[in-house]
Amino acid sequence: MYKFWESIKKEYYLLVNDKTGLTLMFIMPLLLVLIVTVIQDSAFRMVNDNMISMLVANHDKGDKGEELEKMLGSSGMFGITNGTWAPEELNELVRNGEALTGLYIPESFSDELSTNTEQLSNLILANMGLGESDGNSLSGPGSVIFFNDAALQENYVLSITNVIRTHLSVIEVRQMLGTMYNQLGVEEIPEEVETAMLSGGIQIQRYSSAETLPTPNSTQHNVPAWTVFAMFFMVISLGTNLVLEKAGGSFLRLKAMPSSIAIVMLSKQVVYVLVGVLQVSFIFGIAWLVFPWLGLPRLTLAESNVTGLLLVVLMSSFSAVSYSLMLGAIARTQEQSNGFGAISVIIFAAIGGIWVPSFVMPEFLRLLSQLSPLHWCLESFYVLFLRGGDWAGLAKPLYILLIFSLICQFISYVKLRRDQLI
Amino acid sequence: MTDLLIDIENVSKKYTGADRYSLKSVNLKIYEGEKFGFFGPNGAGKTTLISILCQILPFNEGKVTYYLGSKPIEFHSIRQKIGFVPQDLALYEDLTARQNISYFGAMYNMKPNEVRKRSVELFELLGLSAVADRKVRTFSGGMKRRLNLIAGLIHEPAVVFLDEPTVGVDIQSRNAMLSFLKEINGKGTSLIYTSHHLDEAERICDRVAIIDHGDIIASGSIPQLLGENDVEDLTGLLIKLTGKEFRDNV
Repeated sequence: MYKFWESIKKEYYLLVNDKTGLTLMFIMPLLLVLIVTVIQDSAFRMVNDNMISMLVANHDKGDKGEELEKMLGSSGMFGITNGTWAPEELNELVRNGEALTGLYIPESFSDELSTNTEQLSNLILANMGLGESDGNSLSGPGSVIFFNDAALQENYVLSITNVIRTHLSVIEVRQMLGTMYNQLGVEEIPEEVETAMLSGGIQIQRYSSAETLPTPNSTQHNVPAWTVFAMFFMVISLGTNLVLEKAGGSFLRLKAMPSSIAIVMLSKQVVYVLVGVLQVSFIFGIAWLVFPWLGLPRLTLAESNVTGLLLVVLMSSFSAVSYSLMLGAIARTQEQSNGFGAISVIIFAAIGGIWVPSFVMPEFLRLLSQLSPLHWCLESFYVLFLRGGDWAGLAKPLYILLIFSLICQFISYVKLRRDQLI
Repeated sequence: MTDLLIDIENVSKKYTGADRYSLKSVNLKIYEGEKFGFFGPNGAGKTTLISILCQILPFNEGKVTYYLGSKPIEFHSIRQKIGFVPQDLALYEDLTARQNISYFGAMYNMKPNEVRKRSVELFELLGLSAVADRKVRTFSGGMKRRLNLIAGLIHEPAVVFLDEPTVGVDIQSRNAMLSFLKEINGKGTSLIYTSHHLDEAERICDRVAIIDHGDIIASGSIPQLLGENDVEDLTGLLIKLTGKEFRDNV
């Protein structure tokens, strides 16, 4: 125990003297978390809090264009600016970034709508034996012209056009019913019919998986993601530490001593696992205490499963330590360890969903992401922070991390043994 | 001659993947209190033999027995009795001299106060007292070599293996180290030594063994070997026995 304690002291002294390593493990991830969260938070707010800017050129001579404009305005989704632009001008304005979207309502919008609904109601009534068809074919409903900024994602554009289409449908249906009532000798649609028609559709009852849990936001994603990234960046410090011991001859000296290399390796692991725990405490602490002061969402921890949180932190840290030891054992020089270590962690981060959540990745990348230990660390944090933190959800990522760590430890052992260092 | 310290019997070593033996049936006896030197060209097998004797490397065939006071030492106790001063500066550059020695002392099962007392003594003897709390990174080559020596001697071993202990040091450091080694030998510590500084070897060693191609090709006291081979010094002896060709280990 005394030797173990002295080894831990030695590792501690080496660590605190490694200013570059400490910066990479504590300051760099904090900056990354701050910068990326601020950037993503702005984007998140833009989508969720800000309205979509829309230039509306209403040239309609009737009242339906105005009705559509009012409906879009009252939906709360669009910030509308009116003008009398021609379609080409509207297109140019959107292209120049004056607004994200533009809507051109032509002069004949109301007329075309009336004609179309009249023809349609005639046809329906004739089919029902309540009137005679005029024999004309349907002239078609006419159109509005929609413009969007090229930077808008396709699914986002689709959502906007669907909103416009929904409002158009309401106008069309109301117009058609009015026409039918007129043709049946009723001057106006009865109020209860109109109310029922506008509000009586099938309701969508929405339940979010995060309903009773912290709301997903940029902090909830970025803080665990970049903390995991930082943990794995200990490869620079720990990998170098091991390479220097191998290359400098310390391992050989230790082999000639009445001691065991296992003590040395174990003490390294204990110290660096604690470093991982400290990283989490430091970054999570900043995200919990300081983020609200910076106008960022506060990190909400999974209070329901504190043991789970501890285990996830320890297992993530142990995985990072095992990976770093493996690279340190394999690398012959500090340059190899640092270069390969840094690049491999960046690749693991990229495919593991640290930068972009893995659910938005193409299928093959999603499969590939399962090879990244960072993915499973992040998954276990997601289970804690966004999915209630139940043990059933934690079991899979934790098992995978354990297997990954044991493989790394085994490879380190075999390599050190082959090099006759242990 | 005093009691037997190390008995090396038919020791052979072949590295994994190598096409030849690095040591071939080496037989040698080293006695307590001796200052014994291994010499030979690069790649002759000196470091391999020292590594085997320090239990750093396993060997393929043969037997090595350690004795203390004519009694064989248990296998697991050997490492406590030996000191190893490797050719590489096996020190932690980001630790201070004192932190390095405290750590190595602990690995030799020394209690903290024992390490403290002994290290103060050794720092003083080897001129490192004033810099004991400085990081090794800031040391000169000579200072590092002296600290390397202290790390191998902190636990007062019965025998010390010195693999090129003075390589690359200034004359003052070398002089201090050699005087110190003579002093501890006078107190009973056996020295097993290898170096390319043959003048230094002549100053230190009582007996030497010349190794080449994994064989001990000659062994005995220096005057005896010089007389038998009709040469004036160890350099002449080595050239005569191992030839003039370069040994570049390619």
